[in-house]
Amino acid sequence: MTSIITTEGLSKKYGSQFVLNDVSLNVKNKDIYGFLGENGAGKTTTIKLLSGLLISTSGKIIIDDMDMDIESNNIKKIIGLVPQDSSFYDSRNALSHMIYYGRLKGLTKKDALEQSNILLDKVGLKEAMKKNVGYFSHGMKKRLAIAQALLNKPKILILDEPTNGLDPAGTRQIKEILCEFNNNGITIVISSHNLLEIQEICNRVGIIHKGKIIAEDKIETIRHLESNGVVTVGVYNLSHKIINLIESLEFVVKTELKAENILDIFVNSMDDTKPEINKLIVENGGRVFKLVENSLSLEDAFFNITNSY
Amino acid sequence: MNLSEIGIIGEDEILRGSRNKYTLSGFFIFLFVVINHYSTSILSLFSFKSNADIPFYLISYFIILFLGPFLIMMASFDIISNEVETGSIRYIISKIDRASFVLGKFLALFIVFVFALFAITIINLFYTYFSNNTIQLGTAVLFWGFSSLYLGCFITIFLFISALSENNRTSLIMSIVFLGILFFLLIQGNDSFLKYFTPFSYGINNIGFFGKSTHVIDFYALFKNTFAMIIYEIIFLSMSLFAIKRRDL
Repeated sequence: MTSIITTEGLSKKYGSQFVLNDVSLNVKNKDIYGFLGENGAGKTTTIKLLSGLLISTSGKIIIDDMDMDIESNNIKKIIGLVPQDSSFYDSRNALSHMIYYGRLKGLTKKDALEQSNILLDKVGLKEAMKKNVGYFSHGMKKRLAIAQALLNKPKILILDEPTNGLDPAGTRQIKEILCEFNNNGITIVISSHNLLEIQEICNRVGIIHKGKIIAEDKIETIRHLESNGVVTVGVYNLSHKIINLIESLEFVVKTELKAENILDIFVNSMDDTKPEINKLIVENGGRVFKLVENSLSLEDAFFNITNSY
Repeated sequence: MNLSEIGIIGEDEILRGSRNKYTLSGFFIFLFVVINHYSTSILSLFSFKSNADIPFYLISYFIILFLGPFLIMMASFDIISNEVETGSIRYIISKIDRASFVLGKFLALFIVFVFALFAITIINLFYTYFSNNTIQLGTAVLFWGFSSLYLGCFITIFLFISALSENNRTSLIMSIVFLGILFFLLIQGNDSFLKYFTPFSYGINNIGFFGKSTHVIDFYALFKNTFAMIIYEIIFLSMSLFAIKRRDL
Protein backbone atom coordinates (compact mmCIF):
# COMPACT_ATOMS: atom_id res chain seq x y z
CA MET A 1 0.00 0.00 0.00
CA THR A 2 1.27 3.51 -0.79
CA SER A 3 2.40 5.92 1.91
CA ILE A 4 0.25 8.95 2.55
CA ILE A 5 2.34 10.52 5.33
CA THR A 6 6.12 10.34 5.35
CA THR A 7 8.52 12.26 7.53
CA GLU A 8 12.26 12.22 7.03
CA GLY A 9 14.64 13.29 9.77
CA LEU A 10 12.00 15.47 11.41
CA SER A 11 13.35 17.42 14.36
CA LYS A 12 12.00 20.09 16.67
CA LYS A 13 14.08 22.06 19.11
CA TYR A 14 12.94 24.41 21.88
CA GLY A 15 15.95 26.48 22.91
CA SER A 16 18.79 23.99 22.99
CA GLN A 17 16.53 21.04 23.87
CA PHE A 18 15.44 18.62 21.14
CA VAL A 19 11.87 17.43 21.79
CA LEU A 20 11.87 15.51 18.51
CA ASN A 21 15.02 14.14 17.05
CA ASP A 22 15.32 12.66 13.57
CA VAL A 23 11.80 11.22 13.46
CA SER A 24 10.93 9.20 10.37
CA LEU A 25 7.32 8.09 10.12
CA ASN A 26 5.57 6.17 7.41
CA VAL A 27 1.76 6.08 7.43
CA LYS A 28 0.16 4.07 4.67
CA ASN A 29 -3.02 4.97 2.85
CA LYS A 30 -6.19 3.88 4.70
CA ASP A 31 -4.23 2.88 7.81
CA ILE A 32 -5.46 3.43 11.33
CA TYR A 33 -2.05 4.38 12.64
CA GLY A 34 -1.54 4.46 16.38
CA PHE A 35 1.09 6.80 17.67
CA LEU A 36 2.23 5.58 21.06
CA GLY A 37 4.41 7.13 23.68
CA GLU A 38 4.60 8.14 27.30
CA ASN A 39 3.71 11.66 28.42
CA GLY A 40 6.29 14.07 27.06
CA ALA A 41 7.62 11.59 24.50
CA GLY A 42 6.87 13.94 21.59
CA LYS A 43 3.48 12.72 20.34
CA THR A 44 1.71 16.10 20.43
CA THR A 45 4.73 17.85 18.92
CA THR A 46 4.70 15.41 16.00
CA ILE A 47 0.93 15.79 15.53
CA LYS A 48 1.26 19.59 15.57
CA LEU A 49 4.07 19.44 13.01
CA LEU A 50 1.97 17.21 10.75
CA SER A 51 -0.95 19.63 10.93
CA GLY A 52 1.14 22.76 10.35
CA LEU A 53 0.76 24.24 13.84
CA LEU A 54 4.47 24.02 14.59
CA ILE A 55 7.44 24.88 12.43
CA SER A 56 10.03 22.09 12.27
CA THR A 57 13.67 22.79 13.09
CA SER A 58 14.80 20.40 10.35
CA GLY A 59 13.52 17.51 8.27
CA LYS A 60 10.80 16.96 5.73
CA ILE A 61 7.08 16.22 5.93
CA ILE A 62 5.49 14.76 2.81
CA ILE A 63 1.70 14.33 2.89
CA ASP A 64 -0.10 12.90 -0.13
CA ASP A 65 2.98 13.66 -2.27
CA MET A 66 3.00 17.31 -1.14
CA ASP A 67 5.87 18.92 0.74
CA MET A 68 4.74 20.71 3.90
CA ASP A 69 7.34 23.48 3.37
CA ILE A 70 5.97 24.29 -0.09
CA GLU A 71 2.30 23.28 -0.18
CA SER A 72 1.16 23.56 3.42
CA ASN A 73 -2.09 25.24 2.38
CA ASN A 74 -3.03 22.39 0.03
CA ILE A 75 -2.11 19.87 2.71
CA LYS A 76 -4.41 21.63 5.18
CA LYS A 77 -7.31 21.08 2.79
CA ILE A 78 -6.99 17.28 3.01
CA ILE A 79 -6.36 17.04 6.76
CA GLY A 80 -8.83 17.06 9.61
CA LEU A 81 -7.27 17.81 12.99
CA VAL A 82 -8.63 17.01 16.44
CA PRO A 83 -6.31 18.85 18.86
CA GLN A 84 -5.70 17.58 22.36
CA ASP A 85 -7.54 20.44 24.06
CA SER A 86 -11.00 21.28 22.77
CA SER A 87 -10.87 25.08 22.85
CA PHE A 88 -14.00 26.44 21.25
CA TYR A 89 -15.73 29.80 21.56
CA ASP A 90 -17.90 29.42 24.66
CA SER A 91 -20.50 31.95 23.56
CA ARG A 92 -21.24 30.28 20.23
CA ASN A 93 -23.25 27.17 19.53
CA ALA A 94 -22.02 23.96 17.93
CA LEU A 95 -23.72 24.63 14.60
CA SER A 96 -22.18 28.10 14.33
CA HIS A 97 -18.71 26.57 14.92
CA MET A 98 -19.32 23.91 12.30
CA ILE A 99 -20.49 26.39 9.64
CA TYR A 100 -17.53 28.68 10.32
CA TYR A 101 -14.98 25.85 10.12
CA GLY A 102 -16.75 24.33 7.12
CA ARG A 103 -16.46 27.59 5.21
CA LEU A 104 -12.77 27.83 6.14
CA LYS A 105 -12.42 24.34 4.67
CA GLY A 106 -13.76 25.65 1.37
CA LEU A 107 -17.44 24.75 1.66
CA THR A 108 -20.25 27.12 0.74
CA LYS A 109 -22.58 28.22 3.55
CA LYS A 110 -25.26 25.85 2.28
CA ASP A 111 -22.92 22.85 2.02
CA ALA A 112 -21.39 23.65 5.39
CA LEU A 113 -24.84 23.67 6.97
CA GLU A 114 -25.80 20.41 5.27
CA GLN A 115 -22.59 18.62 6.30
CA SER A 116 -22.77 20.07 9.82
CA ASN A 117 -26.23 18.59 10.36
CA ILE A 118 -25.08 15.15 9.18
CA LEU A 119 -21.84 15.14 11.18
CA LEU A 120 -23.37 16.52 14.38
CA ASP A 121 -26.00 13.81 14.14
CA LYS A 122 -23.30 11.19 13.62
CA VAL A 123 -21.37 12.24 16.74
CA GLY A 124 -24.55 12.45 18.80
CA LEU A 125 -24.78 16.23 19.10
CA LYS A 126 -27.89 16.84 17.00
CA GLU A 127 -30.04 17.71 20.03
CA ALA A 128 -27.39 20.08 21.39
CA MET A 129 -26.35 21.79 18.15
CA LYS A 130 -27.98 25.09 19.08
CA LYS A 131 -26.66 25.08 22.64
CA ASN A 132 -23.69 27.30 23.48
CA VAL A 133 -20.45 25.33 23.66
CA GLY A 134 -19.73 26.91 27.04
CA TYR A 135 -22.39 24.61 28.48
CA PHE A 136 -20.93 21.48 26.82
CA SER A 137 -19.32 18.69 28.83
CA HIS A 138 -15.77 17.59 28.07
CA GLY A 139 -17.08 14.60 26.11
CA MET A 140 -19.43 16.77 24.03
CA LYS A 141 -16.55 19.11 23.16
CA LYS A 142 -14.44 16.14 22.07
CA ARG A 143 -17.27 14.96 19.82
CA LEU A 144 -17.63 18.44 18.35
CA ALA A 145 -13.87 18.47 17.72
CA ILE A 146 -14.19 15.21 15.78
CA ALA A 147 -17.20 16.47 13.83
CA GLN A 148 -15.41 19.68 12.73
CA ALA A 149 -12.37 17.66 11.65
CA LEU A 150 -14.55 15.58 9.33
CA LEU A 151 -15.93 18.61 7.46
CA ASN A 152 -15.34 18.57 3.70
CA LYS A 153 -14.38 14.86 3.80
CA PRO A 154 -10.66 14.97 4.65
CA LYS A 155 -8.34 12.25 3.32
CA ILE A 156 -6.48 12.13 6.62
CA LEU A 157 -7.82 12.50 10.12
CA ILE A 158 -5.27 13.34 12.82
CA LEU A 159 -6.37 12.96 16.42
CA ASP A 160 -4.35 13.89 19.49
CA GLU A 161 -5.54 11.84 22.47
CA PRO A 162 -9.19 11.92 21.36
CA THR A 163 -10.53 9.77 24.17
CA ASN A 164 -8.59 11.45 26.96
CA GLY A 165 -10.98 12.14 29.83
CA LEU A 166 -13.96 10.42 28.22
CA ASP A 167 -16.23 7.92 29.94
CA PRO A 168 -16.31 4.33 28.58
CA ALA A 169 -19.47 4.98 26.56
CA GLY A 170 -17.97 8.09 24.97
CA THR A 171 -14.73 6.25 24.21
CA ARG A 172 -16.61 3.41 22.59
CA GLN A 173 -18.68 5.78 20.48
CA ILE A 174 -15.57 7.58 19.24
CA LYS A 175 -13.88 4.28 18.38
CA GLU A 176 -16.94 3.23 16.38
CA ILE A 177 -16.99 6.55 14.52
CA LEU A 178 -13.30 6.26 13.66
CA CYS A 179 -13.66 2.71 12.39
CA GLU A 180 -16.65 3.74 10.28
CA PHE A 181 -14.78 6.61 8.65
CA ASN A 182 -11.74 4.42 8.09
CA ASN A 183 -13.98 1.93 6.28
CA ASN A 184 -15.01 4.84 4.06
CA GLY A 185 -11.37 5.30 3.05
CA ILE A 186 -10.07 7.93 5.50
CA THR A 187 -6.55 7.41 6.83
CA ILE A 188 -6.47 7.93 10.58
CA VAL A 189 -3.50 8.87 12.75
CA ILE A 190 -4.31 8.66 16.43
CA SER A 191 -1.95 9.48 19.25
CA SER A 192 -2.60 7.97 22.62
CA HIS A 193 -1.05 6.48 25.70
CA ASN A 194 -4.03 4.17 26.07
CA LEU A 195 -2.47 1.00 24.67
CA LEU A 196 -5.60 -1.12 24.88
CA GLU A 197 -7.51 1.37 22.80
CA ILE A 198 -4.76 1.46 20.17
CA GLN A 199 -4.59 -2.34 20.09
CA GLU A 200 -8.34 -2.49 19.49
CA ILE A 201 -8.63 -0.12 16.56
CA CYS A 202 -5.23 0.36 14.91
CA ASN A 203 -3.55 -1.85 12.34
CA ARG A 204 -0.14 -0.17 12.49
CA VAL A 205 1.68 1.62 15.28
CA GLY A 206 4.69 3.80 15.80
CA ILE A 207 6.29 4.01 19.22
CA ILE A 208 7.97 7.27 20.17
CA HIS A 209 10.29 7.47 23.13
CA LYS A 210 12.22 10.55 24.26
CA GLY A 211 11.65 12.25 20.92
CA LYS A 212 12.72 9.31 18.76
CA ILE A 213 10.77 6.64 16.89
CA ILE A 214 11.96 3.35 18.30
CA ALA A 215 9.57 0.97 16.53
CA GLU A 216 7.09 1.20 13.70
CA ASP A 217 5.20 -1.69 12.17
CA LYS A 218 1.98 -3.71 12.17
CA ILE A 219 0.62 -4.36 15.66
CA GLU A 220 1.24 -8.11 15.36
CA THR A 221 4.87 -7.52 14.40
CA ILE A 222 5.38 -4.99 17.20
CA ARG A 223 3.87 -7.38 19.71
CA HIS A 224 6.40 -10.01 18.74
CA LEU A 225 9.32 -7.73 18.13
CA GLU A 226 11.18 -8.74 21.25
CA SER A 227 9.64 -12.16 21.83
CA ASN A 228 6.83 -14.30 20.46
CA GLY A 229 5.14 -14.92 23.73
CA VAL A 230 5.47 -15.28 27.44
CA VAL A 231 5.39 -18.53 29.37
CA THR A 232 4.34 -18.13 32.98
CA VAL A 233 5.65 -20.86 35.17
CA GLY A 234 4.84 -21.51 38.85
CA VAL A 235 7.46 -23.54 40.76
CA TYR A 236 7.19 -24.28 44.51
CA ASN A 237 10.93 -24.36 45.06
CA LEU A 238 12.10 -21.90 42.45
CA SER A 239 15.86 -21.33 42.79
CA HIS A 240 18.40 -19.06 41.15
CA LYS A 241 19.97 -22.14 39.61
CA ILE A 242 16.72 -23.00 37.82
CA ILE A 243 16.26 -19.39 36.64
CA ASN A 244 19.82 -19.31 35.29
CA LEU A 245 19.29 -22.59 33.48
CA ILE A 246 16.04 -21.33 31.95
CA GLU A 247 17.76 -18.13 30.81
CA SER A 248 20.46 -20.17 29.13
CA LEU A 249 17.91 -21.86 26.87
CA GLU A 250 18.36 -20.79 23.25
CA PHE A 251 14.79 -19.54 22.70
CA VAL A 252 14.52 -17.54 25.94
CA VAL A 253 14.86 -13.77 25.52
CA LYS A 254 14.61 -12.81 29.19
CA THR A 255 12.87 -13.72 32.42
CA GLU A 256 10.99 -11.64 34.98
CA LEU A 257 10.28 -12.83 38.52
CA LYS A 258 6.66 -11.89 39.16
CA ALA A 259 6.34 -13.31 42.67
CA GLU A 260 8.37 -15.52 44.97
CA ASN A 261 7.65 -18.59 42.86
CA ILE A 262 6.12 -17.23 39.66
CA LEU A 263 8.38 -16.56 36.69
CA ASP A 264 7.54 -14.96 33.34
CA ILE A 265 9.72 -16.36 30.56
CA PHE A 266 9.80 -14.32 27.33
CA VAL A 267 10.38 -16.75 24.47
CA ASN A 268 11.28 -16.19 20.86
CA SER A 269 10.14 -19.34 19.16
CA MET A 270 7.22 -20.38 17.01
CA ASP A 271 7.21 -23.92 18.52
CA ASP A 272 5.64 -24.99 21.79
CA THR A 273 8.37 -24.38 24.34
CA LYS A 274 6.44 -25.52 27.42
CA PRO A 275 7.56 -29.23 27.43
CA GLU A 276 11.23 -28.28 27.26
CA ILE A 277 10.90 -25.73 30.08
CA ASN A 278 8.94 -28.22 32.20
CA LYS A 279 11.55 -30.94 31.62
CA LEU A 280 14.42 -28.64 32.62
CA ILE A 281 12.70 -27.54 35.84
CA VAL A 282 11.74 -31.09 36.89
CA GLU A 283 15.22 -32.47 36.11
CA ASN A 284 16.65 -29.84 38.43
CA GLY A 285 14.36 -30.65 41.33
CA GLY A 286 11.66 -28.07 40.78
CA ARG A 287 7.97 -28.85 41.43
CA VAL A 288 5.85 -27.17 38.78
CA PHE A 289 2.29 -26.18 39.76
CA LYS A 290 1.51 -23.82 36.85
CA LEU A 291 2.66 -23.64 33.25
CA VAL A 292 0.78 -21.42 30.78
CA GLU A 293 1.71 -19.59 27.60
CA ASN A 294 0.23 -16.19 26.69
CA SER A 295 0.79 -14.12 23.62
CA LEU A 296 2.21 -10.67 24.38
CA SER A 297 -0.19 -7.76 24.52
CA LEU A 298 0.73 -4.44 22.93
CA GLU A 299 1.22 -3.14 26.46
CA ASP A 300 3.83 -5.83 27.20
CA ALA A 301 5.54 -5.11 23.91
CA PHE A 302 5.46 -1.36 24.56
CA PHE A 303 7.13 -1.69 27.94
CA ASN A 304 9.63 -4.22 26.63
CA ILE A 305 10.64 -1.93 23.80
CA THR A 306 10.71 1.35 25.74
CA ASN A 307 12.54 -0.21 28.70
CA SER A 308 15.29 -1.44 26.43
CA TYR A 309 16.01 2.18 25.34
CA MET B 1 -3.02 34.10 1.25
CA ASN B 2 -6.55 33.64 -0.06
CA LEU B 3 -9.15 36.40 -0.44
CA SER B 4 -12.06 34.13 0.36
CA GLU B 5 -10.39 32.98 3.61
CA ILE B 6 -9.60 36.60 4.55
CA GLY B 7 -13.25 37.47 3.92
CA ILE B 8 -14.54 34.62 6.10
CA ILE B 9 -12.21 35.51 8.99
CA GLY B 10 -13.12 39.19 8.67
CA GLU B 11 -16.84 38.49 8.49
CA ASP B 12 -16.68 36.21 11.51
CA GLU B 13 -14.76 38.79 13.53
CA ILE B 14 -17.25 41.53 12.59
CA LEU B 15 -20.41 39.48 13.20
CA ARG B 16 -19.41 37.13 15.99
CA GLY B 17 -16.10 38.39 17.38
CA SER B 18 -15.42 40.35 20.53
CA ARG B 19 -17.97 43.09 21.31
CA ASN B 20 -15.11 45.22 22.61
CA LYS B 21 -14.57 47.07 19.34
CA TYR B 22 -18.26 48.01 19.06
CA THR B 23 -18.41 49.32 22.62
CA LEU B 24 -15.29 51.42 22.03
CA SER B 25 -16.33 52.75 18.63
CA GLY B 26 -19.81 53.48 20.04
CA PHE B 27 -18.18 55.41 22.87
CA PHE B 28 -16.02 57.22 20.32
CA ILE B 29 -19.06 58.30 18.28
CA PHE B 30 -20.96 59.39 21.41
CA LEU B 31 -17.94 61.42 22.53
CA PHE B 32 -17.94 63.33 19.26
CA VAL B 33 -21.64 64.09 19.52
CA VAL B 34 -21.07 65.51 23.00
CA ILE B 35 -17.97 67.50 21.99
CA ASN B 36 -19.54 68.93 18.85
CA HIS B 37 -22.71 69.77 20.70
CA TYR B 38 -21.00 71.63 23.52
CA SER B 39 -18.28 73.19 21.38
CA THR B 40 -20.90 75.49 19.87
CA SER B 41 -21.79 76.83 23.31
CA ILE B 42 -18.41 76.67 25.09
CA LEU B 43 -15.89 77.66 22.42
CA SER B 44 -17.93 80.67 21.35
CA LEU B 45 -17.33 82.09 24.87
CA PHE B 46 -13.62 82.30 24.12
CA SER B 47 -11.90 83.26 20.90
CA PHE B 48 -14.58 82.53 18.39
CA LYS B 49 -16.74 85.41 17.24
CA SER B 50 -19.59 83.22 16.06
CA ASN B 51 -20.53 79.55 15.83
CA ALA B 52 -19.60 79.70 12.17
CA ASP B 53 -15.93 80.12 13.12
CA ILE B 54 -15.71 76.91 15.10
CA PRO B 55 -13.43 74.49 13.25
CA PHE B 56 -15.35 71.29 13.98
CA TYR B 57 -13.06 69.10 11.91
CA LEU B 58 -9.93 70.42 13.59
CA ILE B 59 -11.37 69.76 17.06
CA SER B 60 -12.46 66.28 16.05
CA TYR B 61 -9.12 65.56 14.40
CA PHE B 62 -7.24 66.55 17.57
CA ILE B 63 -9.34 64.13 19.59
CA ILE B 64 -8.73 61.34 17.10
CA LEU B 65 -5.03 62.17 17.11
CA PHE B 66 -4.57 61.70 20.84
CA LEU B 67 -7.52 59.60 22.06
CA GLY B 68 -7.82 57.36 19.00
CA PRO B 69 -4.64 55.33 19.65
CA PHE B 70 -5.86 54.40 23.18
CA LEU B 71 -9.22 53.24 21.87
CA ILE B 72 -7.56 51.26 19.09
CA MET B 73 -5.23 49.68 21.62
CA MET B 74 -8.13 48.60 23.82
CA ALA B 75 -10.01 47.21 20.82
CA SER B 76 -7.15 45.32 19.19
CA PHE B 77 -4.53 44.22 21.71
CA ASP B 78 -6.22 40.82 22.21
CA ILE B 79 -7.45 40.18 18.68
CA ILE B 80 -4.90 37.42 18.02
CA SER B 81 -3.43 36.77 21.47
CA ASN B 82 -6.86 35.80 22.79
CA GLU B 83 -7.19 33.08 20.14
CA VAL B 84 -3.67 31.88 20.99
CA GLU B 85 -4.37 31.93 24.73
CA THR B 86 -7.63 29.98 24.47
CA GLY B 87 -6.26 27.62 21.81
CA SER B 88 -9.11 28.31 19.38
CA ILE B 89 -6.53 29.44 16.80
CA ARG B 90 -5.53 25.78 16.28
CA TYR B 91 -8.88 24.95 14.68
CA ILE B 92 -8.42 27.86 12.29
CA ILE B 93 -4.73 27.63 11.43
CA SER B 94 -5.04 23.88 10.77
CA LYS B 95 -7.47 24.80 7.96
CA ILE B 96 -6.17 28.00 6.36
CA ASP B 97 -3.07 30.01 5.66
CA ARG B 98 -1.77 31.98 8.64
CA ALA B 99 -1.52 35.16 6.55
CA SER B 100 -5.25 34.98 5.74
CA PHE B 101 -6.01 34.81 9.46
CA VAL B 102 -4.01 37.95 10.29
CA LEU B 103 -5.26 39.92 7.29
CA GLY B 104 -8.86 38.91 8.05
CA LYS B 105 -8.52 40.20 11.60
CA PHE B 106 -6.97 43.45 10.37
CA LEU B 107 -9.70 43.91 7.81
CA ALA B 108 -12.44 43.42 10.42
CA LEU B 109 -10.99 46.01 12.80
CA PHE B 110 -10.25 48.44 10.00
CA ILE B 111 -13.78 48.21 8.61
CA VAL B 112 -15.38 48.73 12.03
CA PHE B 113 -13.33 51.86 12.70
CA VAL B 114 -13.71 53.21 9.16
CA PHE B 115 -17.49 53.00 9.69
CA ALA B 116 -17.18 54.66 13.09
CA LEU B 117 -15.12 57.46 11.53
CA PHE B 118 -17.69 57.80 8.77
CA ALA B 119 -20.36 58.32 11.43
CA ILE B 120 -18.13 60.93 13.11
CA THR B 121 -17.63 62.70 9.76
CA ILE B 122 -21.40 62.86 9.28
CA ILE B 123 -21.81 64.23 12.80
CA ASN B 124 -19.25 66.93 11.97
CA LEU B 125 -21.05 67.77 8.74
CA PHE B 126 -24.31 68.02 10.63
CA TYR B 127 -22.90 70.42 13.23
CA THR B 128 -21.03 72.43 10.57
CA TYR B 129 -24.30 72.92 8.70
CA PHE B 130 -26.36 73.85 11.77
CA SER B 131 -23.79 76.38 12.98
CA ASN B 132 -24.20 78.29 9.72
CA ASN B 133 -20.78 77.23 8.43
CA THR B 134 -20.02 76.44 4.81
CA ILE B 135 -20.10 72.74 4.17
CA GLN B 136 -16.82 71.66 2.61
CA LEU B 137 -17.21 68.13 1.35
CA GLY B 138 -13.53 67.97 0.41
CA THR B 139 -12.53 68.59 4.02
CA ALA B 140 -15.02 65.97 5.18
CA VAL B 141 -13.53 63.38 2.83
CA LEU B 142 -9.98 64.32 3.85
CA PHE B 143 -10.95 64.06 7.52
CA TRP B 144 -12.46 60.61 7.00
CA GLY B 145 -9.56 59.36 4.86
CA PHE B 146 -6.74 60.68 7.03
CA SER B 147 -8.36 59.59 10.29
CA SER B 148 -8.93 56.09 8.87
CA LEU B 149 -5.35 55.78 7.69
CA TYR B 150 -4.03 57.20 10.94
CA LEU B 151 -6.03 54.77 13.11
CA GLY B 152 -5.14 52.01 10.61
CA CYS B 153 -1.47 52.56 11.49
CA PHE B 154 -2.27 51.88 15.15
CA ILE B 155 -4.37 48.85 14.28
CA THR B 156 -1.36 47.33 12.48
CA ILE B 157 0.93 48.15 15.42
CA PHE B 158 -1.30 46.47 18.00
CA LEU B 159 -2.05 43.58 15.64
CA PHE B 160 1.69 42.99 15.37
CA ILE B 161 2.08 43.03 19.15
CA SER B 162 -0.92 40.70 19.52
CA ALA B 163 0.58 38.32 16.93
CA LEU B 164 3.80 38.17 18.96
CA SER B 165 2.17 37.61 22.36
CA GLU B 166 1.46 34.32 24.13
CA ASN B 167 -1.48 35.73 26.08
CA ASN B 168 -3.67 38.79 26.53
CA ARG B 169 -1.81 40.08 29.55
CA THR B 170 1.54 40.14 27.77
CA SER B 171 -0.09 41.75 24.76
CA LEU B 172 -1.70 44.51 26.86
CA ILE B 173 1.52 45.29 28.71
CA MET B 174 3.55 45.33 25.49
CA SER B 175 0.93 47.54 23.84
CA ILE B 176 0.98 50.08 26.68
CA VAL B 177 4.78 50.15 26.68
CA PHE B 178 4.91 50.54 22.90
CA LEU B 179 2.36 53.34 22.94
CA GLY B 180 4.48 55.05 25.62
CA ILE B 181 7.54 54.71 23.39
CA LEU B 182 5.64 56.24 20.47
CA PHE B 183 4.67 59.22 22.66
CA PHE B 184 8.28 59.55 23.77
CA LEU B 185 9.45 59.53 20.14
CA LEU B 186 6.87 62.17 19.33
CA ILE B 187 8.13 64.46 22.11
CA GLN B 188 11.85 63.77 21.64
CA GLY B 189 12.03 63.30 17.92
CA ASN B 190 10.40 66.47 16.69
CA ASP B 191 13.47 67.62 14.80
CA SER B 192 15.12 64.27 14.16
CA PHE B 193 14.55 61.13 12.12
CA LEU B 194 12.93 59.47 15.17
CA LYS B 195 9.65 61.15 14.35
CA TYR B 196 9.28 58.89 11.29
CA PHE B 197 8.89 55.89 13.59
CA THR B 198 5.67 57.19 15.07
CA PRO B 199 2.28 57.58 13.37
CA PHE B 200 1.64 60.61 15.63
CA SER B 201 4.08 62.51 13.45
CA TYR B 202 2.18 61.67 10.26
CA GLY B 203 -1.10 62.51 11.96
CA ILE B 204 0.18 65.90 13.15
CA ASN B 205 1.43 66.69 9.63
CA ASN B 206 -2.19 66.55 8.49
CA ILE B 207 -3.52 69.11 10.94
CA GLY B 208 -3.01 71.88 8.39
CA PHE B 209 -5.78 70.43 6.23
CA PHE B 210 -8.43 71.07 8.87
CA GLY B 211 -7.63 74.68 9.85
CA LYS B 212 -9.69 77.64 8.85
CA SER B 213 -8.31 78.20 5.39
CA THR B 214 -8.82 74.76 3.98
CA HIS B 215 -10.01 75.80 0.57
CA VAL B 216 -6.44 75.67 -0.78
CA ILE B 217 -5.19 72.11 -0.59
CA ASP B 218 -1.49 71.35 -0.77
CA PHE B 219 -1.65 68.25 -2.96
CA TYR B 220 2.03 67.44 -2.51
CA ALA B 221 1.65 67.32 1.27
CA LEU B 222 -1.58 65.38 0.86
CA PHE B 223 0.11 62.73 -1.29
CA LYS B 224 3.22 62.58 0.92
CA ASN B 225 1.27 62.07 4.15
CA THR B 226 -1.12 59.53 2.65
CA PHE B 227 1.73 57.56 1.11
CA ALA B 228 3.73 57.64 4.36
CA MET B 229 0.82 56.23 6.38
CA ILE B 230 0.09 53.51 3.83
CA ILE B 231 3.77 52.47 3.85
CA TYR B 232 3.73 52.48 7.67
CA GLU B 233 0.72 50.14 7.65
CA ILE B 234 2.26 47.85 5.05
CA ILE B 235 5.46 47.58 7.10
CA PHE B 236 3.65 46.66 10.31
CA LEU B 237 1.27 44.28 8.52
CA SER B 238 4.26 42.54 6.91
CA MET B 239 5.91 42.27 10.32
CA SER B 240 2.68 40.75 11.73
CA LEU B 241 2.58 38.21 8.91
CA PHE B 242 6.22 37.33 9.45
CA ALA B 243 5.68 36.99 13.21
CA ILE B 244 2.66 34.68 12.86
CA LYS B 245 4.28 32.60 10.11
CA ARG B 246 7.34 31.82 12.19
CA ARG B 247 5.68 31.10 15.50
CA ASP B 248 4.57 27.84 17.05
CA LEU B 249 0.89 27.59 17.94
